[in-house]
Order: sequence, then structure tokens, then C-alpha cells
Amino acid sequence: MKTHMLCPVLLASALLFSGCTTIGFHAPTSGSEKKLPSASQIDAYPNRPIEIIVPTGAGGDTDLGARLLGRYLGEEMDTSFIVTNIAGAGGSMGSREVLEADPDGYKVLFFHNNLLINKLYGLSTFNHNDFKIAGIALMDHGDTFIVHGDAPYQTANELAQAAIEQPGELSFATEVGGYTHLQMMAFEEATGADLKPIDVGGASDKLVALLGNQVDIVPIAYGVTADYIENGDFASVGVLSSEQHALYDNTPTFLEQGIDIEFEKFFFFAFPQETPDAIVARFSEALKEVVENNEAYREQAESYYTIPTYIAPEEATRYMDDVSHSYERLIERLETQMD
Amino acid sequence: MLELIETGFLSILNIETIVIVFIGVALGLVFGAIPGLTAVMAIAICLPITFGMTPINGLSLLMGLYIGGVSGGFIPSVLLNIPGTPSSIASTFDGYPMAQKGEAGRAFALTIVFSFLAGLLSLLVLIFISPVLASVAIQLSPFEYFAITVFALTMITSLSDGSMLKGLIAGMLGISLATVGFAPIDSYPRFTFGLPELEAGFNVLPVLIGLFAITEILKTSSDRKQIETKNIQTAYRLKDLGLSFSYFFKQKWNWLRSTIIGVTVGILPGLGGSAANIISYVTAKNQSKHPETFGKGEPAGVVAAESSNNAAIGGALVPLLSIGIPGDGVTALLVGGLMLHGLNPGPLLFEQNGEVMYGIFAALLLANAFMALLLIIGMRFFIRVLHVPRHVLLPIIVVLCVIGAFGVNNRLFDALVLVLCGVIGYIFAKLKFPVMPIVLGFILGPILETNLRRGLMHSNGDFLPFVTSPIAAAFLLLAAGSFLMAIRKNRKRSATI
Repeated sequence: MKTHMLCPVLLASALLFSGCTTIGFHAPTSGSEKKLPSASQIDAYPNRPIEIIVPTGAGGDTDLGARLLGRYLGEEMDTSFIVTNIAGAGGSMGSREVLEADPDGYKVLFFHNNLLINKLYGLSTFNHNDFKIAGIALMDHGDTFIVHGDAPYQTANELAQAAIEQPGELSFATEVGGYTHLQMMAFEEATGADLKPIDVGGASDKLVALLGNQVDIVPIAYGVTADYIENGDFASVGVLSSEQHALYDNTPTFLEQGIDIEFEKFFFFAFPQETPDAIVARFSEALKEVVENNEAYREQAESYYTIPTYIAPEEATRYMDDVSHSYERLIERLETQMD
Repeated sequence: MLELIETGFLSILNIETIVIVFIGVALGLVFGAIPGLTAVMAIAICLPITFGMTPINGLSLLMGLYIGGVSGGFIPSVLLNIPGTPSSIASTFDGYPMAQKGEAGRAFALTIVFSFLAGLLSLLVLIFISPVLASVAIQLSPFEYFAITVFALTMITSLSDGSMLKGLIAGMLGISLATVGFAPIDSYPRFTFGLPELEAGFNVLPVLIGLFAITEILKTSSDRKQIETKNIQTAYRLKDLGLSFSYFFKQKWNWLRSTIIGVTVGILPGLGGSAANIISYVTAKNQSKHPETFGKGEPAGVVAAESSNNAAIGGALVPLLSIGIPGDGVTALLVGGLMLHGLNPGPLLFEQNGEVMYGIFAALLLANAFMALLLIIGMRFFIRVLHVPRHVLLPIIVVLCVIGAFGVNNRLFDALVLVLCGVIGYIFAKLKFPVMPIVLGFILGPILETNLRRGLMHSNGDFLPFVTSPIAAAFLLLAAGSFLMAIRKNRKRSATI
């Protein structure tokens, strides 16, 4: 082959290669096309590194949670864990990667509530029921609404009152059709408040917008904003979890303040649906051991303002069904209201 | 203040930390120099390694990688006309022609000196006045961002290489490419043709590396004469170049302007080093008394491009290290790095972890110096790349580009995008369409749309605040002025033909 033809030929083959695999990639994969592990492979599990797919960018709460768990699970299961970030389309890109992976236990998804919400809003065609859940590993009970430190409303009730008195005036930083949008709608439904949703971007952009007085209310994880609450820039009107927690400075819950809304962010592991039960069980056992008994892990997880909580596969699936139904009812009620 | 910085230096001036910073810079330079691999990737890969280190050591490594990763990108820009990272695209415009004239050594010398100085100045800005800058930056609302982006988009007119029409078409193509995938704000899928791969849209890196690296490789390999190794005579060592002090001193205002642009663009979220690089190049060209020499090996072009991307580092760190808020991909990863070591980003970062924070500043200054040192030592080896036969070198680069594109998001789809963009770039080059406007449209289009829609959410659908906010109005006027000027220039040119 002439040397000057080498590059175009190489490129053409790269194109063909990626083209073929890409097309094969999104073709509907049914269980029969996937390569199921043999009995001896199941017995040997795990005998090579396990890949955790994180469907968000590196550096966020999901990513940090996965990396930390991966490190301790690796010690527990005597193998190594590799975290791969596949961001995009609100988490659907990375979730789909696991959905369509070979069910051999070497590719596992680590994700949160958004998997359920994406389906409810029609952004994806699958939810937790299309996977085999290996358990919930981590909870963040610190979902909170924060306001400016010198705002005239400093509790959930005062905030609701202010929002009722000036309908459509107080702005709420959110992503339309996202987790925080559900929180806003639940708050409006429970109190009769009327807020103005404004998209300002991700968690850090929300903090900037509140610092710059461009929005009035920001829904956020307590851990991200603890410093601002401590120095008085911001104030938390309450947390959305079922009970107060020392990790979140014992901030009163919305429930305690008489506003009936409750949101908890949960992080779970999920395998492709066809994965053999024996493999999932082995993974879950290791997860339970790390989450419940590994003090070094627990301490570090709490330093990220998250609470290590193990929920076994069946119970986790039921829990996620319940959460999904409550979100669905909320969306339905609001849609009928709008009509 | 100075005492604190002294404490910072004391905490990093031990053999272990110095070695870690050195390794970080060296590794960063390698990632920067390889087309397709970037500082973001270097940091993402090394983040887990810092788990086991002390906070100071871990963060020093990441800072070294950051500075090295941004600085190394110019090497293939100058030698091969292929940018090593998106933030050294503009460095190819004059760096490569310089190398073709046998002045690769000079281009390296200019880059090293002014990258170092720009990095230094931007770090001093970061250390001494970042709280002030950050408090100004947080006051900017979507209205101002929209106007600033419109102004930046008018740069397309200066990048059109003669035909305004072709430039605008290319710019619109760039904006259109960026609309593929879920829309900002309401996540409505656009141009996905039912393919789930397209839902996430096109990533910047494969598009840019495709348009530049792959296109360049296609161009070279389709021309037999180019494949044969040219024997370009050039000096390899700094001291053999015979450069006088005045050669550098001439660039002082250009350097200062480019550094200021770099720091400013760096602070604004979303734009980043690649936009800084292009904007300051265009500004230098427009401000020059002899703009016609740009693109033909003009040292001022190299200085403008390379000062600004290093200056953008200090800028991007301003919001992160003063109020604990990340502005771009790299700084978002650095937040992860801070959190891994129990440092919660936020306004109390300095009160609670002052020693670590000033240690980071010291590590950045040290990394900046190592960067210059490594490049001065390394340039005599890098420049020899010019003598490696192209048919050996280019296939290797293709492979590295594909690996880099895959590494962005671990999807083969991105490698496909890379190759397709290379082919598009090649067709554009054959039709004599400029490629730069595609890039500018692709980077700025989504920022423009997002801020337009966010602004409209703020104002309940009212367009008026876009022109009544003083800063926004000023930028829109500037944009209109710049556009009219370009039209006039274009008329004059067609009149003389």
C-alpha cells in the first residue's frame, strides 16, 4: 500500500468500525441476544474488575458516592472497581449502557431518583423495573430549600405565606421536568403557594444565582450549601426528609412545620435484568457488609453529607415502586389542575 | 496576606510535594500535547489516585496537571498544524506558518515566555483580587451573558477569510450542529431522528479535534508532496535562537491585552480556554497595524493565542477558590478533588482550610515555573518531530485522536463524530469555506440559546431587559458596531477588486 493512502484507509476503517458498533449498539437487544454467563463463570464471580457506570459527569455527588463505594467494595469483594462516567441526556445515556450490557455482573449502574423521573417525563423509555436492582446503598436526607440569609421569610411556613401573598413573584431555581421541579410542585400543592420556576443551571449555578440575588428560593442538597448557612449568607427553611438529622444541623423538616411533603434522594446499584440472581446476591451481600459495618467507609460517606443506608434488593425495588407512584400521582394531579 | 502565602509555600516546599507538582506538570504536558487528550481527562484519570495522598499533595498534583494540560496544547499546533487541545486552536494560525518558515524555535520561545508570564499574572490576580472579581461576576444575569455572547459571535466576521457569506454559512452550521440533542431548559429532543445516541448531542472535543486534527491529516495525506519530509532548518535550543530582549518586549501590550481577555473569559462560566484563545487572537488581529500578516507566521498571533489560554486558568479558578463555585469542566472536577479530601467548597474554605488553600496557590505558582522549565528543556526534542516522516506520525495521531474522543464519555459514538467532523472539515477546506466560524458557532450557540431562554424566564417573556440592562446594552451596541465595521471593510475590499 502506498504510504500516502495509509491515513485515508485507516480513517475509513475507523469510520466503519465505529459505524458498525454504533448501529449494533442501539438495535433493540432482547435477552436472547445477550451473552449469559456460564455456571462456572457465575461461581467464579468476581474474577475481574467490575465497572461502575455513573451516568453523570465526574466530580458530583453521584460520582463521589460511586468512587467511594467502589473503593471499599473492591476490598470487600477482592477485585477492583473502575468508575466510568457516561454523562448526557439527564442520565439516560449511561443508564442505557448498563441496560444493554452483557448480564455477567461486570457492569453495574450507580444512579439516583432521576432514573424514575426521566421515564415519567418521557425523557427515557425505561425505569428501575427494566433493571435488576442490587440494593440501595446511600441516602441523602438533606434535600432543602434555601433562601437569602436576610430574606423576610426564614421558615417553610413564612415562605409559603410570602408566596401566597405575592403569587408568581418569588422565583424558584429549578430544571423544568427535573427532581427539584417535582419538589417545587409538591410544595405548591401542599401550601397553595404560587412560585415562578426559573432555570439557572446546575447546583453551583444555583448558588451563584442566589448569591447574586437573581432568584429567591434554591432547592439544593444541604451538604453543598452548609458553609453558606454557617456564615449567614443563606438560610435553610427546612429539610424535605422524614426526620431531622444531626448531619444537617438538626434543621426542622417540612413535615414538622406542618407542610406535608417528603423527598429523599437515594442512590442504588442496578444490573441488566437478565443478570443471574446468584451474581446479584453476591454483590448485594458485599454492599450490605460495606454499608453497614465498614466504619472507615461510613465515616467518609458522612463527611460528604450522605447517610450510608443499605436496603436489600426486593425491598429497594418496592421502595422505588412506591416513590415512582407518588411522583406519578403528583404529576397527574398537576396536569389535571392545568387542564 | 503575604504571611499566608509564605505559609502556603512552606507547606509545599518539601521534596515529596515538589516532585508531585513536577510529575503533574510533566504528565499534563503530555496530555496537552497529544491531540484528543486534554487537561480534563488528565485530571479525571488522576482524581482517584489522589485519594491516598494528603490534601496538599493531592491538590498539588491536580493543579500541576491543569497547568501542564493547558500549556502542552501548543506543541502540535506549531509543529503539525493540529491543536493539542481545544484551547490552542488559534495557536495553529500563526504558529504553524512560523514553523514552516523555519522559525519553530522562535514560536516555542515566544509561547514559553508569554505563557509563563500570562500564567503568572493571572495567578497573581487570582491570589490578590479574586474575591472582588467573583463578586462582580455573580451579579451578571442571563441578560448580560446573552449580550456578551452575541458580541463574541460577531468575531465570526473576522474569521471568515474574505468571504463574509461563507463565514456566516459556516457559523450557522456550527450553531445548528450544537442544537442536536435535548434542548436546554425543557429537554425537548431535537434532530435526534429516533437515535438514542444523539440525545446527548455532540460533544465539543470530538467535533473540534475532528475539524482540526482529522481534517489536517486528510489534507496532508491527500497531497503526495506534503507527505515527503521537508527539511526545515531550525534551531533547537533557546540560546541558539539569537533572540534579543526587544523581540519579546515588542509584545508587551499584546501580551497584557491577551492576558486580560484570558482572565475575563476564564471567569465567565461556559466559555473557557478555547473561546479565550480565539477571541484574543481575533482582537490582536483587529488591533494590529498590519492585520494582513496574521495567518502567515505573525509572532503577535502566537503571543495573543498562547497568553490567553494560560491566563484563562487563573480566571477559571477565581470563582472556585474565592467563593467555592466551579465555572467549567476542569474546575468542577477540582471540586470533586477538594471534597475527596474533606474540604467543602464554599465561602468558608479559606477560614477553615487556609493552609491548604494557600498551599494550592503556591503549588500553582510552582507548577507555572515548572511548565516553563520543562518546555525550555524539552523544546530541542519536540522540534525534532518535524523530521519524523509524516506517514509514520499521522497514523499514530489518528489512533490517539480516536482514543481521546472515546475517552470523553466512554462512547464509541464520539469516535464516529470525530471522523465525520474530519470529513466535513476536509470538504469545507476543498470548497474554501472557513472552519473557524463553525467552531465559534458550535461553542457559543448553546450559551446564547440557554441564556436567551433563561432571561425570558426571568422577565416572563419580555425582551426589554435585554436592552435596558446597561452592561447588556453596551455589549449589544459593541456587537452592532463590530458587525457594521465588518460590512464596511467587506464593501471596500470588493470595491478595490
